[in-house]
Amino acid sequence: MAEEFDVEFIERGDRSARFLVRGLTPAFANGIRRAMIADVPTLSIDTVRFIENTSVMFDEMIALRLGLIPLTTPLDDFEVGETVTLALDVEGPATAYSGDIQSSVPEVQPADENVPIIELKQGQRLEFEADAVLDSGKTHAKHQGGVAVGYRHLQRVEVVGDAGEFEEQEPNILRGVIETEDGELVNADEFGNDLTQRYPGKEVEVHDVPGAFVFHVETDGSFSVDELVLRAIESLDLRAAELEEKVRV
Amino acid sequence: MSYKCSRCKRDVELDEYGGVRCPYCGHRVLLKERSRDIKEVKVE
Repeated sequence: MAEEFDVEFIERGDRSARFLVRGLTPAFANGIRRAMIADVPTLSIDTVRFIENTSVMFDEMIALRLGLIPLTTPLDDFEVGETVTLALDVEGPATAYSGDIQSSVPEVQPADENVPIIELKQGQRLEFEADAVLDSGKTHAKHQGGVAVGYRHLQRVEVVGDAGEFEEQEPNILRGVIETEDGELVNADEFGNDLTQRYPGKEVEVHDVPGAFVFHVETDGSFSVDELVLRAIESLDLRAAELEEKVRV
Repeated sequence: MSYKCSRCKRDVELDEYGGVRCPYCGHRVLLKERSRDIKEVKVE
């Protein structure tokens, strides 16, 4: 593909972003989406050594919860398969939160401090040591860095005329991002997902813009959205290069 | 085998011939305590 991609941000935050890419084929857009879900590795707890667990839950159930706690992942410092040791010691009456987890590497911390692990009553205690391992979403869903990753066609809204004077205006519900006639990009949230709110008394036509996709990307907090997207594209790039090399021989 | 008597809460060591009975208070209900080993669990 020789043509250039045109990327425009609609919303851009640390953990979630919405951006428009022009010049993509549907297959390529889906490739990026899948790479963001399954190919970007994150750290996640994989083995837990329970020293004391007098809580009301089985070790295995607590271990399962621990696996789902997102950990900040500095991808430049770790290779897939490398581990980080974490520890927790909480005595009741208290609730053990993800923020109570101590890490051996300062860059690796729970992404959120307020994920409850278990509520402990008087005399109950939870103490464990855990190994977090870097792996990709292909291996286990707990390693997915991108959550709620998806895309939609960009929709172009054109005013074709006035609605009949006494015609009942039914809500014209639409989701995603629209492109107005003067090229402005508007998130449908801004007008309550209802086109009759934005164009009252008008008759409009909505068309998908070919090759233009609006991605909505959210991360679990392991890294920023920018990092997730760039790493996903890098993984596609590496695989394409590998294929090229293998085919050439 | 280490157990705990459910009435007097004392640690009880049971041998093969003594039967199931607390040697301190004679209570017949004993509770098995969790071992103090470190248990390793794989997160699946």
